[in-house]
Amino acid sequence: MTLPLTSRASSRGHKLRGGAPRRGSGGPVGAWRGWTWTRRLVALLLAAAFLVPFYWVFVISVQPGTTISSWPLNLVPQWHWANYSRAWDLDTWPRYFANTVFVAACTVALCLVTSVLAGFAFGVLRFRGKKVLMGLILSVLMVPTVTLIVPDFVIANELHLLNTYWVQILPFGSSVFGIFLVRQFFLTMPQEIMDAAAVDGAGRLRILWHIGVPAVRPALLLIGINVFVASWNSFLWPQVMVTDPSKQPIEVGLASFTTDNGTDWSAMSAAVCFTTLPIMLVFLLLQRQFIRGAMTAAGSVK
Amino acid sequence: MPESLAPAAGVSQNQPSPVRPRTGPRLGRRTGRIPAGAGPRDRRDFRATAWGYLFVLPALLVFGVWTIFPTFYTFYISLWHWNEFDISLSKYVGLANYRQLFQQGDPSFLDAFGHSLYFTVGMVLGGTAIALGFALLVQRGGRLLALSRLGFYLPHATPLIASSLVWGMIFDPRFGLLNYGLDKLHLPTSQWLYSPGSSMPAVIVYSLWHEVGFITLVFIGGLAVISDEYGEAARVDGCGPWREFWYITWPQLRPVTTFVVLITTIGSLQAFTQFYELRGAGNSTVTLSLLIFLNADGQSPTLGYAAAAATVLFAITVLFSLVRRRTSVGGGAVAS
Repeated sequence: MTLPLTSRASSRGHKLRGGAPRRGSGGPVGAWRGWTWTRRLVALLLAAAFLVPFYWVFVISVQPGTTISSWPLNLVPQWHWANYSRAWDLDTWPRYFANTVFVAACTVALCLVTSVLAGFAFGVLRFRGKKVLMGLILSVLMVPTVTLIVPDFVIANELHLLNTYWVQILPFGSSVFGIFLVRQFFLTMPQEIMDAAAVDGAGRLRILWHIGVPAVRPALLLIGINVFVASWNSFLWPQVMVTDPSKQPIEVGLASFTTDNGTDWSAMSAAVCFTTLPIMLVFLLLQRQFIRGAMTAAGSVK
Repeated sequence: MPESLAPAAGVSQNQPSPVRPRTGPRLGRRTGRIPAGAGPRDRRDFRATAWGYLFVLPALLVFGVWTIFPTFYTFYISLWHWNEFDISLSKYVGLANYRQLFQQGDPSFLDAFGHSLYFTVGMVLGGTAIALGFALLVQRGGRLLALSRLGFYLPHATPLIASSLVWGMIFDPRFGLLNYGLDKLHLPTSQWLYSPGSSMPAVIVYSLWHEVGFITLVFIGGLAVISDEYGEAARVDGCGPWREFWYITWPQLRPVTTFVVLITTIGSLQAFTQFYELRGAGNSTVTLSLLIFLNADGQSPTLGYAAAAATVLFAITVLFSLVRRRTSVGGGAVAS
């Protein structure tokens, strides 16, 4: 199992190739060509297997009746859309959606502000103890969220923040990944332009706003997407901190919905579909950025 | 992390910061009175400034209040018989909560620890092997392979609650898709989540489905930067694909593999949602994180116990993070 010697494979991502390309040198290439198609077929079949759960939950969500009562299982959609309206009416979904979007938007906004400011400080400015502070922030990555549940519950209780939006926003209002990414962008950009602006008398905030922010815009997009999705998907935190359904986000709503209606598989599947569809659309529209973000997170911070 | 950090930090240090003239008095902004290159009145560089603290402050405040201080606070709480309704009624109990960790319970801490290890080992072995295979399969290549890459990655984009619900239905002993398929193929079926022996493997299967796409991407990233020169030379010398992988590709991927193993370990130790959602009968899938959650839900008087368990989990995670730091430094040296 290895890379085939097709011209396409060899023409990409090889900086270290020394001599002339060996393209079309005959010999093994022909032998590899059959393997290329086998490889494509195997990859597609495996990918299709990964998508089976997506297909099945859709089939159940449009099946007639509420449960599955006998074999053989239904494996083709029956287009019984009534399950969706039933599931929709069984719970306060608009509220959950609104809460989720509001919390996610606020978290993203807060994260962008904190990341840009701190990233600028770490990437451009110089001050005593900078390295120590950066190390302190990076060490935050070592703390598992689960271990924070206990003390943060006590703290939120003391600050009277339980059952509020604040407790869903503030603790996630800063991102190590975000700070690190903005800092990297600043370190790799030509900073002379900022010095020139300083010579012309621009203050630091002006430099940051007019030169820094436009320069790190791609980083901001990555941070925004990642924080938004993480906030949308969060469950453990709001499950512990927010018991008031009018403040709960979508995933907590979905979990409690299924606890209450666990026997109604059709409604449950319909709810899974319509709660997950928006975030999947976001993903599919922005998949390039997503994957880049994942790689960056993997390569640099996580 | 440090391998990318160290040079970057070096850059910021070595960056020549010739004294950049800055307009002295604030009143004189934008007047351009100071011609570039002329003798600066104020020899201070605009970068060297205590403003840095102010810029870092918001982020530090968030981390300080919700992460750094609470980490120490966890340890403090773990020494108390904590009463969260009226903290003044809490009783200092020393290490009693830690002793209780080693006592029988339902489920006990040691059981939960064992389950966490089981899950972690399954995820590390399974995740690394499958993702490496997938990465070799779909790296580079044309549109069809890109489509497969997307297919592998799509599960990772689903919220854990939603997709573990779906897998709960797939694993359903009576009407689940899995048992139906196994029956069609005349293979033995199972109770999956409802049997102590098969519940953890079932959760691992779900979690692999969710995570493998991400790990595959990391491996693809690793494969993209290794040189094909050695492989080509080996092929010219008549080396078969399997031997080429084993002796040439795999050794070059070692730093990436180490990285994958460590992030999967840390991520698996912290995994929570799937255990919450896919909990069948019994406690065979109660891991450390679920145990902490079950004892910290506000109703139970066991917050101190949960804090003790959390402290232990934190210690384990720190241990792995330090290992990661060491190895990625070593890995960086090997890679470069």
